[in-house]
Parts: sequence; C-alpha cells; structure tokens
Amino acid sequence: MLDLPPATPVVPGPLEAELPLRTAVSRRRDPRGAARELAGALRHAELGFVLFFCSAEYPLAALSTALNEAFEGVAVAGCTTAGEITPEGYGRGCIVAIGLDRRHFAVSCALVEDLSGFDLIRAQRLVDGLLDDCRGRALAPVGEHSFALTLLDGLSSCEEQVLATLDAALGRIPSFGGSAGDDNRLAHTHVHAEGRFHGQAAVVVMINTRLPFEVFTTHHLRPRDEKLVVTRADRERRRVLELNALPAAEEYARLVGLPVEALEPEVFARHPLAVRLGEAHFVRSIQRVNDDGSLSFYCAVENGIVLTAMQPAPLLEDLEAVFAGLTARLGEPALIIGCDCFLRRLELEALGLVAPASRLLGRSRVIGFNTYGEQHHGMHINQTFTGVAIGSRPVTGDA
Amino acid sequence: MDLARSRETPDDAGPRERELLEENARLRRIASALMERVESAGMAGGAPYAAFEHAVLLAEQVRERTETLQRTLAELHAAKAEAEAANLSKTRFLAAVSHDLLQPLNAARLFTSALEDHPLPEPSTRLVGHIGRSLKDVEALLGTLVDISRLDAGVLEPDIAPFPVARLLDVLAEEYRQMAAARGLELHYVGSGAVVASDLALLARVVRNFLTNAIRYTGRGKILLGCRRRPEGVEILVGDSGPGIPEAQREAIFQEFQRLGGNRGAEDRGLGLGLAIVDRIAGMLGHPLRLASVPGRGSLFSVLVPQGRLPPVAHPPTASPRLGQGPGQGSVLERARVWVIDNDPGICKGMAALLEGWGCRVLTATSLADLDIKAVGERADVLLVDFHLGEEDPDGLAVAARLRERQPGLPVIVITANHDATIKGLTRQLGYGCLLKPVKPLRLRMALVNLLGGESA
Repeated sequence: MLDLPPATPVVPGPLEAELPLRTAVSRRRDPRGAARELAGALRHAELGFVLFFCSAEYPLAALSTALNEAFEGVAVAGCTTAGEITPEGYGRGCIVAIGLDRRHFAVSCALVEDLSGFDLIRAQRLVDGLLDDCRGRALAPVGEHSFALTLLDGLSSCEEQVLATLDAALGRIPSFGGSAGDDNRLAHTHVHAEGRFHGQAAVVVMINTRLPFEVFTTHHLRPRDEKLVVTRADRERRRVLELNALPAAEEYARLVGLPVEALEPEVFARHPLAVRLGEAHFVRSIQRVNDDGSLSFYCAVENGIVLTAMQPAPLLEDLEAVFAGLTARLGEPALIIGCDCFLRRLELEALGLVAPASRLLGRSRVIGFNTYGEQHHGMHINQTFTGVAIGSRPVTGDA
Repeated sequence: MDLARSRETPDDAGPRERELLEENARLRRIASALMERVESAGMAGGAPYAAFEHAVLLAEQVRERTETLQRTLAELHAAKAEAEAANLSKTRFLAAVSHDLLQPLNAARLFTSALEDHPLPEPSTRLVGHIGRSLKDVEALLGTLVDISRLDAGVLEPDIAPFPVARLLDVLAEEYRQMAAARGLELHYVGSGAVVASDLALLARVVRNFLTNAIRYTGRGKILLGCRRRPEGVEILVGDSGPGIPEAQREAIFQEFQRLGGNRGAEDRGLGLGLAIVDRIAGMLGHPLRLASVPGRGSLFSVLVPQGRLPPVAHPPTASPRLGQGPGQGSVLERARVWVIDNDPGICKGMAALLEGWGCRVLTATSLADLDIKAVGERADVLLVDFHLGEEDPDGLAVAARLRERQPGLPVIVITANHDATIKGLTRQLGYGCLLKPVKPLRLRMALVNLLGGESA
C-alpha cells in the first residue's frame, strides 16, 4: 500500500497530465521522506518507469527499501553520483528522478552483475531480452525508435570491455550513459536495479518511444602542441607510471607548471590529456596522484599511447550551442538526460560559473548527474557532457 | 638492437655530456614504447585500451555508413516517387484514351444499330452485321482496358459475400456449353453444393476467362468445368485437352498482350489481356491461381476460393422481375417524345437515328442552352442526358435537375462513360436511370420501355 502524506497531490492537473514525463527532486536526507516526496510528484496511473540519480551519502539499503515501497509495482533504476542535475540545475546531497509515462515510453531494464564475464553471447542474450520485452509494449518500431541508457559502476575498471561488447550487441540502437560516482570520495559507487543497489555492476535501460530523440556528446576542450608518451603503464590498475620516460606525476606537473603537491582534481579538470584517434580527441581523465609518483586514470591506459595536452574553451558557450542545435532538430525538448563529467563541474566551480550553468541546465530541462566517465556508442569517454534529448511532440508521418 | 637498454654513464663525462646521454636514454625509451604500441595495434585481444580504440573506430564506421545509407534511402525515395508518378500517369492516360475512344465508338454502334433496322439488300445486311460484330469486339476490348486501368488504379472495391458456387457455375456451364459446341468441343460440367465467399461478379470474370481461353486454344476434345474441395477452400477448375503450355511460358501468359501460338481462327480476336486481368483480380481478391499443364495433353487452370457460410435463415433469393422483351412492349416507344442532350453532335445524330427507328420523336441538343432554343414551351416524355457536357457547362445531373424544376417527375436517363460507382450511385439516389457508354441499343430500349411503361401503368 502506498502511504502518502495527505497533502501530497497524487492526481495531476489537466495540464500536467499532458506531459509524457515528469521530473522531481527531493532534498530530504531521510530515505523514506525523500522517496515519498518523489512518489508524490511522479506517481500517476500511467507511470511506467522511474529513473533516479542520488547522492552516495544516502544510506543505500534504506533508500532501496524506501523507493521500493514508494513506487510499488513500478520498475526503478538509477545510480549514485558525484553531484546531481535537478530541475533547477546543479544540486548536491539530493535525489533527482524522472517518471516516464507508459503511454509514451516502453521501457525495459536489465542488470549485469558479472562485469568481467560479460562476453558477446551474454550481451546478445541481454539485448535480445530487452528488445523482446520492449517489443511486447512497443509504441513505435523498436529498431528505429529506441535508445539504450547504461549506468556503470564508475570504479569497476571494466567500462571499456563491457561497453564495446554491449555496443556490438546493440547494433544500430544508439546508446549513452554515465559511470556512477560517489561525491569524489573514489571509494564505492553503485547502480540500482531489481530493487537494490549493486557494486561492480551495470544497468542497461532500453527505452522505446514515439517521441523524437537524439543521443549526443560534447566537450569544450581544444588540443595544444605538447605531447606526452606513456612509457610505462599498469594496465590492470589504469595507472601511468612514466610519461616521456620520467615519473608521470613529475612530468605532468612540469607540463602544467605546478609542483607535484599541488596536483588535485581542479588542476586535472583545467589541464586534461587526450588521445587523438583520427580527427577527434578523446580526453583520458586523471583520477589522482599516487604515492609512487604515478597517475591513476578514469579510463584504460596502455604503454606507448600518445597524450595530447588540452586546454578548455568556454564551457557554457559550447553547451548552449549544442542545446540550440538539438532544439532546432527536435523542437523544444521535453527532457534532456545528461551525464555530465564531475570534472566539468569542478571547472565551473573554480571559475565561479555554477549559477549561470544551473540556469542553462534548468532552462534546457536537463535532469542527470555528475559522472566518473561517460558512455557514447560503446566508447568510454571522459570530461564530456553526454546524453539524450527527447522532443515533446511525437514524430508525425512516420516514413 | 636493444634500444631500451640503459647505458652506463662514463664517470669522466662532463655535465653537458651527461645531460645529453640521459636525454638520449629517455628518447630511446620513448621510441621503444611507441614501437611497442605501433606493433601491438590492430591485434585482437582483450586489452581495455584496445577495446576503446576499437569502439571509436566502429563508431566512426557506423557514422559513415549511416550517412551513406541515408543518402541511398533518399535516392530510393525519389526513384520510387518518380516510378509511382509514371505509373499513375500511365493509368490516367489509359483511362483517358479509353474514355475518348468510347465516345466515337458509341456513335458508331448507334449508327450501325439504326442501319440494321433499315431495309437493305442482302450483301449490305451481311456487311452491316460484320461491322456491328467488329464494333462489339472493339467495345469488349476497350472495356477490358478500362477494367485493367481501374484495377491498377485501385478504384475497384471487391464486394465479398457468401454464395453457393453452383449459382455461378450453372450459368457459366450453360453459356459456354453452346460456345464449345459451336467449335465442336464438348463441355463437361460437374456441379457442386459448396458455398464460397467471394465477389460474384469478379470471380465470374476469372472463370469466364479460363473458359474462353480453353475454348479458344483447344482444337478438339473436351473442356472440363468443376470444383474440388480442399482444406483451404474450394478450387474452381477449368481443364482442356488443348496443346498445353510449355513450362517456360507459364508466367509470361499472365502478362498483358502475351499470347501463345495455337488456334487463331477468324473469330479469334483476343488481344491477350484476359489472363492479365485474371491475375489482377485474383491478386485483389486474394484467391491463389494455379496452372498445371502437360504439353500436348492439355492444361488445367484453377482459382482457390475460401469457403463461405450462408446466413442461417436464408430465404431463397427471389429473382428480380426481369423486363420481358416481347414485341408488344415496343409500342410504348411509338411517338414518345425523347430529348437527347449530348455535347458530341455525332452521338446526337446516332441517337436520333436509333430512337427514330423505334418510332420515337427525337429532339437533340448539345447543351441546355441549345435545348432551350429548340424546345420552347414543349414537354418531353423522357430525357436522355450525357453526364459530361463539356468543361464549362453544368454536368448532366445539374441539367436534369433544372429540367425537372420545369417539368416535375420527368423521367431521366443519365449516360456516362465514367465507370466510377459514384455517378451511378448519385443517379440512383435521384431516381434516375443510368447507362454506361458505349450505350448498348438493347439496354437503352429496355430502360426506355421501363420508364415509359412504368409511367403509363
């Protein structure tokens, strides 16, 4: 039974009922109160699926229980974050959620618990299961009108293989996602599915809709001339021991013109390194400096890769241009689900730009979270804003 | 050569030299790492960074392919639209040509009919008979062309209903038995009590075509007409002891203007459109066609029709009372005042000749205005009006309405070359008669007798 405070409006107004989805945020610290607040805003007769992003500071087991109670009979998936994107922009220590209306979205969700054993056969079985499930309730041809959202444990060090394998199985279905965070503590990140939180796991959500959508990624970083060659790496632990045959932290500190002791996430955010593949640069973000003078990364590294020093261009200008392009192609979006690298947020905080950023995100109807890495078409990428924009009016004249 | 091996720095080296040697060693290590990377690139394996690189490569390929695919799709859409437009214009052209041909043909038929009623010397009578039959054939062919264009344009809607198959086959057997006998063939008919669900008129066209072909191509022997019950329905079969159809040509005969050699007598006037129509009708009704043939032995054409179920309380259908054609009934036409409005003066003349031959008093006009001049203060017993009276003028229905205002209850027959059901439906609603071009003299006569006789009754 749903136990709601009497003041909470459950029945939506006529205008609200028109919306294909609803969003909500709760800043309450107690799991039960937070879950009820979300349910009060999201629950209605046609609620089909709930996607949430929450601070890692919540007592997670209690939060699972509270969400299961508040959204009984509705599938719920989500993950912990390094910061939330609420209807009013950046938030911290809170929980934000999206409620999808089943008249507009057919959603199917699966959990991958054994990340290292996730081979192509399992991936194919998983994707087939998701597609079959969606097809039963499909609102539009599944092949053309679906996308996949992936939420990964951000400290599992398995993203690259899991994503490449999953992407092969997804075929032409576009996919994006983010790695769960834990408020920059780098200890434990979790994904939620099947009624509880899981570590070392991934959640794949297949969403089918008649509404137009576009999966996109962007970053604001431009290459400089300096290059660093990884001359010693610990592939298993994603560590670079040497750059240009010198201790990695030392060489990076020399590049950015700071002492090794001053190296911290804000510096990594302002001075990223990237690999160049073809015409594109892909940032490989530094996670921390280790005691042995090595650098830990958020993504796979390898001996002999060439890292290009990058410099930031105005972040908000880039993001605003991307949102404008999406609006031009899809019409005014009903929602943008955003996976926004936490290093971008650090940069905005360092530059004192959080308030204008929040205004832009709120205005653009972004709901999402700050990640420990983003996923786009099977690629594990860093320091980007990656997501999906969903239009508000169904595609007409389906050709 | 081992580039990675670090070398001992000699003790006697100066600081500058030492620096250079160290840098040299570092560069060797960098070169070595790069070489390792280059050489391991493209290797299949589970390395995480390789998986990332692979994903990037794949995403790029997918992007390129998607672009190519979208371009190709756009081209295909354009080509399809073009083909559809061409097809549509072909269908329209065919419909227009058929329509325009029907007009003068109509006139020719009327003249010939009128001519037959004149006392003529024996050789001339025979010639008029030949002309009449030739025109009849042209008319049948044109009708077929119109049908094909209507089938292609998709304007023909099948009217599916259950009926006993014998209701169709008994009639056909009787009709074709005589035709077969005229060519020295025996038609063997096996009746059936099966009930089928189909469009009676369209199915009749299919079976008629089978029978016509069987008789046309069979020199001697037998024609078989019958049914076979199958799990999927009732198969209506027409077999013959003709020359058979070679395997290679079995598909081609269902295309337009395809005819096989064989018995092409003087009376064989087909254009090879029959099976093309059969194929279209069967496709539209969803009835599978089958052809079995042994060259030298004969052929068997069949159409598989779904089984039907008659409504439980089926009243025996009462035959609609048909108008007899007794000579006595011609008398109502004597001195009947018939107004004919047709914008084609040829048709007007033909009609006048025909109607006057039946004893009518005829007044023809090419438009309402023309009629107003010619028929001041007069009244008519019946109005024959063409539906299509030139681009600028009101259509036949409007003209009839105007004349009915002046003379309420005026019997009207609308004549049209448009085989659309719409016009026919409209005339029925208004209580008018409707005849399709080319006007068959017998039909016209019956319609007139019906209207005039009904009025006098």
